[in-house]
Amino acid sequence: MTHLLSHLASVALAASPPAEGAARAAAPVLGRVVEGPWTAVLIPGLPLLAAVLVALCAAGRVRSKLPAWITVGCLAGAFAAAVQTYLAVVHQPGLAQGVRVLEWIHLSWGEKPGQSFAADFGLYLDSLTMLWMLFVTGLATLIALYASEYMAHDLGAGYNRFYFAFALFVFSMSCLVMGDNLILLYLGWEGVGLCSYLLIGYFYKKPSAVAAAKKAFIMNRIGDLGLALGIMLTFVQFGSVRYAEIFEAAAPYLTLAGEGRIGEIPLLIQLIPVLFTVGAFGKSAQLPLYVWLPDAMEGPTPVSALIHAATMVTAGVYLVARFLPLYQCSTWALPIVAWTGAGTALLAATIGMAQFDIKRIMAYSTVSQLGYMFAGLGVLTSAGAAYHVFTHAFFKATLFLGCGAVMHGFAGQLDLRKLSGVAFMKGWGIVGLAMLVGCLNLAGFPFTAGFFSKDMILAEAFASPTYQALGWVLLFTAGLTAYYTFRVFFRVFIGPKFYEPGDELHAHDDHGHGHGGAHGHGDGHGHAPAKAKATADAAHDFHPHAPGWAINVVMVLLTVGSILAAYPYLISWVPGLIDASSARVIEVAHGGEHAHGTFFGYDPHAVMYYVSAIVGAVGIIFAFVLHFVGRTGAATAKADALLPVFGPLARWAQNKWYVDEFYNFLVRVPLLVISHVLHLADKLLVDGLVDLAGFMPQAAGRGLRRQQTGALNGYAFGMVLGVGVIAAIGAVLLW
Amino acid sequence: MPTLLADTDVGSYLPILLLITMAIVFAIANLAASNLIGPRRTGHVKGMTYESGMNPVGTARKRFNVRFYLIAMVFLVFDIEIIFLYPWAVTFPNIDHAVADGAVWLGRILFFLLTTVVAYVYGYRKGVFRFD
Amino acid sequence: MIEKIGALWPEIILFAAACIVMVVGLSPTAAVRRLCAPLAGAALIVAGIVAWFTTPAAHGPLPMLPLFGKTLVAGVGVLLALLLAGTPDREYESAIARGATGYDPIRANRAEFWAFFLFSLTGAMLCAGADDLIWLFLALELTSLPTYIMVAVSTGRNRSMEAAVKYFFLGALGAAVFLYGFTLLYGGTGTTRLFAPAGEPSIASILAAQAAGPGINAVAMTGLVLSFLGVCFKIAAVPMHFYTPDVYQGASSAVAGFLAFVPKAAGFFTILILAGAAGWWGSSPVDAGGSLPQPLHQIVLIVAILTMSVGNALAVVQSSAKRMLAYSSIAHSGYMLVGVVAGPGPANAPYTSNGVAAVLFYLLSYGVMNLGAFAVLASLERRRADGSADEADDVNDLKGLCATRPLLGWTLVLSVVGLLGLPPLLGFWAKLPLFTSAISSNEIGLVIVLGLNSAVAAYYYLRLASVALLESPELTNDTVRSSPFPARAVAGLASAVGIVLLAAWPLNQWAMQGGRYQRVEPLKAAEGTPPARVDAGAPAAR
Repeated sequence: MTHLLSHLASVALAASPPAEGAARAAAPVLGRVVEGPWTAVLIPGLPLLAAVLVALCAAGRVRSKLPAWITVGCLAGAFAAAVQTYLAVVHQPGLAQGVRVLEWIHLSWGEKPGQSFAADFGLYLDSLTMLWMLFVTGLATLIALYASEYMAHDLGAGYNRFYFAFALFVFSMSCLVMGDNLILLYLGWEGVGLCSYLLIGYFYKKPSAVAAAKKAFIMNRIGDLGLALGIMLTFVQFGSVRYAEIFEAAAPYLTLAGEGRIGEIPLLIQLIPVLFTVGAFGKSAQLPLYVWLPDAMEGPTPVSALIHAATMVTAGVYLVARFLPLYQCSTWALPIVAWTGAGTALLAATIGMAQFDIKRIMAYSTVSQLGYMFAGLGVLTSAGAAYHVFTHAFFKATLFLGCGAVMHGFAGQLDLRKLSGVAFMKGWGIVGLAMLVGCLNLAGFPFTAGFFSKDMILAEAFASPTYQALGWVLLFTAGLTAYYTFRVFFRVFIGPKFYEPGDELHAHDDHGHGHGGAHGHGDGHGHAPAKAKATADAAHDFHPHAPGWAINVVMVLLTVGSILAAYPYLISWVPGLIDASSARVIEVAHGGEHAHGTFFGYDPHAVMYYVSAIVGAVGIIFAFVLHFVGRTGAATAKADALLPVFGPLARWAQNKWYVDEFYNFLVRVPLLVISHVLHLADKLLVDGLVDLAGFMPQAAGRGLRRQQTGALNGYAFGMVLGVGVIAAIGAVLLW
Repeated sequence: MPTLLADTDVGSYLPILLLITMAIVFAIANLAASNLIGPRRTGHVKGMTYESGMNPVGTARKRFNVRFYLIAMVFLVFDIEIIFLYPWAVTFPNIDHAVADGAVWLGRILFFLLTTVVAYVYGYRKGVFRFD
Repeated sequence: MIEKIGALWPEIILFAAACIVMVVGLSPTAAVRRLCAPLAGAALIVAGIVAWFTTPAAHGPLPMLPLFGKTLVAGVGVLLALLLAGTPDREYESAIARGATGYDPIRANRAEFWAFFLFSLTGAMLCAGADDLIWLFLALELTSLPTYIMVAVSTGRNRSMEAAVKYFFLGALGAAVFLYGFTLLYGGTGTTRLFAPAGEPSIASILAAQAAGPGINAVAMTGLVLSFLGVCFKIAAVPMHFYTPDVYQGASSAVAGFLAFVPKAAGFFTILILAGAAGWWGSSPVDAGGSLPQPLHQIVLIVAILTMSVGNALAVVQSSAKRMLAYSSIAHSGYMLVGVVAGPGPANAPYTSNGVAAVLFYLLSYGVMNLGAFAVLASLERRRADGSADEADDVNDLKGLCATRPLLGWTLVLSVVGLLGLPPLLGFWAKLPLFTSAISSNEIGLVIVLGLNSAVAAYYYLRLASVALLESPELTNDTVRSSPFPARAVAGLASAVGIVLLAAWPLNQWAMQGGRYQRVEPLKAAEGTPPARVDAGAPAAR
């Protein structure tokens, strides 16, 4: 461990962040791959092993926590392997390493280049990959541990199913991030989508969960179509789907882009990143495909924390970062990314302000923060975006797991109007503290990790002459973020102690984690009236279920992680890693003077710390005044009095700007009409054809059947005739 | 090195073709001729099976005891054995020990005898030699 | 000579075991008689292990084929031994056990059945290692002749006799066709040796010289085509397929499972050897890979298309599960011929471009999957009105099998879904290289036909699966019961496990080894192409 830390330090010293404008690390060598360490195979291998073992547990109807321990053990092993591989990778900075696990797809229809298609199960290890794998495996281990307690009410089939999908998810995510070609990336991409679908729909008896799972799946399909088209176009244009070969083939275009001659790049090449972007927007919940992510909170909270906050949704960011060289070859791709990101950040933040379900607020904040990351990529601070991914992974996991602990302890209660002062209740201190750290990070409170990472993006936006307006949008969003974050904290975690248990006490099957009596408070306290107000001192019929050791340990570790992410070395460590990978930003030579944006005449890199600190503080103060000062109960706060001021705006925000309804009207209704029309055509025309196609073999079979008389001489005659006819055909062919 | 079928002149197969044609023509011609010019006198006695002047008794399609076939097959086994053994025995004293190893030759025929022994044991166990 | 024997140890072991079984099976003690099947299984295991360690062929275009083929035959043979348990003498033995009759060796068939089982497998192994036309012919016949008897004695009913007689006569016709082909091949090249060390005349090197020069002469080509068409009988390909459904239905399910694999394996080894001797020719003589010499290529292509189409079309209209599997066996031969058409691809071609490796892997997969389906049929019996039992055959006998007998039911579902080629099961990984190798060798039309046929096959395979899985058992289903031979269910279970596990096992690398192809050097003109005319009456050199 000390070795690792000292190593981090040396890396950090070697590579200072580009945000500081200082000298940068050696440029990465794209297109060259050296042999990597075999231990990298364990990173996808161990989760896969875990999935298989858990599947065996399921087959053996195991009803203990065995699947959890298998998964945690394997994931911890994968994390160790990731650390080991990371050390090997940074040993040769700027050089990608490859490990070929097994030969997978090899097709060729000629000898010439472009006449073969090869995609191996091979790993592409560079510092970008390893950054992602470090936090994916690390967080997955912790969250698996957390879930061992969280899911304990469902021991048996459900528990096994959960851990199977969980382990499979980590395997898919490793394929996505570590694959050395687009096909393997696509496999992982679909794999994480599948696991996400399975886990959102984990409570499959609950209609809303099933609907949410379907929604997530379909929204992702739209994005995946873009990605698939992008992959096909890549193959057509570059003749390969392997990263190394793509980068090699794209090098001339990158040179053109670097010389500012981006207009000379063929249009189809410029189209590739745009198509990738569609895929990235689907997976990372950006406008217009973001609507699935808030609904995805129907899944168990550990899933929300891992998949829908920390890891899977950053796959789009990874995709853009990985192919940043291609993005820089495109005129439109990066502006699309930047403006969509900023728009999503703002929209999601406004919705988040008006929600009452704390988990949903976290979901919208995730969408919003993902918007930040894309905006960061768009304004060409891949280092800032990646650092934000990294810090966000920690603090958002902390926040979600905190919400999960609340949900777990208060029988599925998530309404911030029905909870108050949770942090002061017995056994809830750790959760409260963790939530505080998480909220400070998310709000961008000075000297937290979230503060530094958000700053990098803001500063770069203002520093870029074309993105001033975007900088203002992001800055405004930062204020909103601080407000709605602390709205949750002030209302739920501090203040007078009050709670009202959720409805899981009564309806086990249709809400929350839909559990039976295993909860410990379920059947025994089933008599709590639905609307009974129970204060902490009079809670004779419901006891909050304080988190156990596994949840507390994980919360502590994640909190420490969130705090440590602000460790100064790390601030320069992530940019150093990014600069040594394909996500490095190339300098574009501008025609004449080097345009550089300013913030009221100051260098944005220098002043942004102060500006964003002030904005964040203002947001927190607003939340403090409106939701804490003078609040005596849980149900109302001063903020409610302000609602009329905003008129319909507040109601619209509360209803998520009617985006779902809008989509429904714009897309679903026309589709429904079209589908009815097409259904008719399908019935008459296509079914007819299919029936014909089905009928033909049958008719042929009936005809041929006559030959199968069972008579020996008939068969012999048929054979001789057949040989004769075929020999005659051969004779005709020969002459 | 033998002459290749492919290299031989197709013309040299003309006699064979002629022979085949003659055979076919002969057969058909005979049938046709006897059909055309032969007298047709039919009757009960004419249609009877010719049994060297004796009156036929029973049907000609009589089932033989399966043991007849078994004996025939056992006979074949030993018959073939002798057929193989004889030329071997004649050749064996004369083989040139410079080109061939006598032990290998002996081994081969002993293996062959072994297979016959197996066949014999099988036949014995099968009860072929029990005539009851 | 000695080194040839060195490569034949697996066959020698099986032969010795067959001799022992032949005698042991005639013991008057029932317990000793029952040793036949275990002895055969043990011999196969030993032979398989020995085959794994035999040295590859010293020369020839497919040096690893003997090793692969022998191990494959022994491996599937072990499962077949399990499947065939209890087939011969079933009613006779139970009568003896009841004390209704005494033991009369002349009426018993068990010893012969198991000995013939081993002889047939020996023949299939010999096919894989053949390097001479005469050897090849004898090996093919050694494979087939015992199967005629096995069919005849398999159920003890008249329909088996009828099936055996049909099979025998049509088999003889098939043998006549390929024997004639072999004769012409000999006439066209002047030697019966298929492969020989470099510089010595062999069919492969002479054909290579002819192909590089004036083209393969018409007599040799006719020989190749007729040999191929004759061997089509063994693999049940059009136009020699007529016997298949009648024979499979007449034989017991276990023996039908045997017939679907062993003669087919022997036939494909033969086809690969003959095709290897003819050579897959690239655009120039130095190119490895490419396609078979012209008319042969077209004929194999036509036969492949006809075989899979006819097999699938006829399978669609069947209501007898055995007949359906028989027709699907025809269709699968058509699929495998696609790999023969595609050829081994260019030198050092990856696995997915090597059609020969694809055929070998498909053979393995087909052996395993088909065995599962037949094992399920063999494990079920339908009680007839008179109280005697007959094997389940009608598709309706399988209704609701997953509910009534989950183990058998799921084995059936796995087998047919595997045969259909759904990922991630074994059948998919077997079919995939057939597609990719055909694409690699530019046979797009063939690939389309293969794809369409796979779709048609879904119709009847899924029908079998859905009958077992989705339909509720018939009320009268109590007439269907399990057969009293657990070994058959074990065989089915083993193949079900194989269908799942082998898909994950990197066996394709092994098949890749087996399908390694090396071009045969053309025989130099000075060394006798065309061979010098000696006097016409001289006896054959060998």
